[in-house]
Amino acid sequence: MMRNPVFASIHLHICISAYQHISMSLMIRVHNLHKTYRGALEPSLSGLSFSFSKGSIAGLLGPNGAGKTTTISILCGLVKTDSGHAEVFGLRQDITHRESIKRLIGIVPQQIALFPQLTAVENLEYFGHLYGMKGRPLRAKIDAYLQRFGLEKNSRKEIFKFSGGMKRRTNIIAALLHDPQLLVLDEPTAGVDVQSRSMILQFLREYNQQGVSILYTSHLLEEAQSLCSEVAVIDQGRLVLQGQPLALIQQHPECRNLEEVFLHYTGRAVRD
Amino acid sequence: MLRLLATIRKEWLLLKRDRGGLALLFLMPVVLITVMALIEDAPFRDYQELKFDVLTVDNDHGRLARYIREGLESSGQFTLVDSLDGQPLTTEKARELVNEGDYRICIVIPRGATAAIVSNANRIVNDLSKRMGLPAMQPVKQRDDSLNVVIYFDPAAKKAFKSAIHQALDNFLTQVQTNLLLERIQLQLRRKDAGAAATDTLDIRLKAIGLQEQATGPVKQIDVIYNSVQHNVPAWSIFAMFFIVIPIAGNMIRERGDGSLLRIQLIPGSYLEVLAGKMLFYVGICIVQFYLMILVGIYLMPSLGLPPLTLGKSYLAAFVVALGIALAATAYGILIGTVFKTPNQALNFGAISVVILSAIGGIWVPLEVMPPNMQLLGHLTPMNWGLEAINDIYLRNAGIGHIWGNAGKLLALCVVMLWIAARIEKRRIS
Repeated sequence: MMRNPVFASIHLHICISAYQHISMSLMIRVHNLHKTYRGALEPSLSGLSFSFSKGSIAGLLGPNGAGKTTTISILCGLVKTDSGHAEVFGLRQDITHRESIKRLIGIVPQQIALFPQLTAVENLEYFGHLYGMKGRPLRAKIDAYLQRFGLEKNSRKEIFKFSGGMKRRTNIIAALLHDPQLLVLDEPTAGVDVQSRSMILQFLREYNQQGVSILYTSHLLEEAQSLCSEVAVIDQGRLVLQGQPLALIQQHPECRNLEEVFLHYTGRAVRD
Repeated sequence: MLRLLATIRKEWLLLKRDRGGLALLFLMPVVLITVMALIEDAPFRDYQELKFDVLTVDNDHGRLARYIREGLESSGQFTLVDSLDGQPLTTEKARELVNEGDYRICIVIPRGATAAIVSNANRIVNDLSKRMGLPAMQPVKQRDDSLNVVIYFDPAAKKAFKSAIHQALDNFLTQVQTNLLLERIQLQLRRKDAGAAATDTLDIRLKAIGLQEQATGPVKQIDVIYNSVQHNVPAWSIFAMFFIVIPIAGNMIRERGDGSLLRIQLIPGSYLEVLAGKMLFYVGICIVQFYLMILVGIYLMPSLGLPPLTLGKSYLAAFVVALGIALAATAYGILIGTVFKTPNQALNFGAISVVILSAIGGIWVPLEVMPPNMQLLGHLTPMNWGLEAINDIYLRNAGIGHIWGNAGKLLALCVVMLWIAARIEKRRIS
């Protein structure tokens, strides 16, 4: 029957549709990613493949140098792969979809990617303008987020006068202004106090409930265990483990928590 | 457009809060051009403008000494000193004072100098008279002494200065000898014919051909002297404009380091629009710097006893050149900000390279006084292109049609530097 060209065509169409349906239902998908930076002795990614479901809070975990930041950079279109491909909501990260993907993603870099000499409002207005937003809608959104993150009283203060937690919260707001479908956070709670961390995590849960997918990296595995609905552990540029945190713990009776599972797979040797 | 305007606003806010940066951009250049114009005022003046004390030892007390004195004093450059502490100068004392550097020049007129000139003139008149069949009646010295007006120069005196003095004194000597000769001829003619005195036209005939200075400029030349202000204000303005590389490079490296550049690159839309906003802002700053320096040249310099800056007649041409310099300087800042990884590297390289390029390009001293090889090198620097174009406008009164060459070079350099920066950035990202 498959020899019949009509049936073959229908079969191909069904396959493509099914693939598209699966792809569209995924937040991200990376397939066989390879990347070696110029001058580097070791590859950063060596055939990395994994995917996360749309609407989840996904944790991309791994020790230092595992390839987390490279993977995120590839997903965002900042770094080109040597081979393999990455997709965001079914859109392949290439020259055709780069701008569309940028519109879908909000990035919270590990660094405080703000202008220290500008106030919180000035920073957020500037990034809002770069997204093409202006006037009252932008101002209203900035005010709402500043209030949500407890920064309204300090909105006119320069960023360099902020505490670490305040900087982190402003850093997150800057990624939310254009209402992204996917929020990517690279260690968003590094170096913040307990209160700020609690506020950030609470916000992420609420934001996710509004239908926004979240991709999150962290070295705080207890935090990842409580926040993420699924995690992928990568090491030396390869996937070593993927699944729901609780399921992973249950699969390893000798481990009491996600951190022990993580150490079980990545070892206790100190990484550079 | 919103991205471009937002970037300009952001850069303005950042600069407004950086008081050190503001001072570096606006206050320091004002101080710099003022100090440089004051320091270089004397060296820049022509020797005609400066007044020297000239020691004179007059052993002749005749017409030659009077002619030399009147000639030197009438030029306005020299004050003759023939006595010190109420005592007439001696040759030995004058020589000692010049040798010690207290005075730059001493002129010693020998005893019998005028008499020797008169005797020589009489001999010529007598010779002419004999050939014309007239009686030779002028008294002539029997023995000719070889006499010289002696000049002593400060050992540190420059060759050009010595040459100018030699030339001036030679002129006076020739003038005295010519006048005395004419006088003697007239005297002889008067003796022959009493009516000759009434129709004396010899002096007029000698001045029949004069010397006249005329303009070389393409249009009506303005009366500008290349003085300290005329050199230093445009030159150091260009230098200050190129110092914009430091805030630009620092700003770019900081943005790369603190991740704000990363955030900008993650936002949809062309980064070129953001970069254009940044560039436009700094080009604007450079233009403001340039016109601020021009105002300093026009209004502040005269209040410090310096001549005012004279502008050419084409304001459009001056603006085009200022824009060209600003674009080249800004592009250089972007290139340095792209190449270097730390603000310290960029600051050191940027500052030193601008100083070196300025020195080669004729900012410190005009290119004309440099060795030929350095002049060739100087013509390759953007500072020199800018300065040449400004001098064309301000000194030669050139219009927009005459500055395209240099303005074009500045623009081409800007494009090349931006292209290199883009290539480096692309390579870095990949």
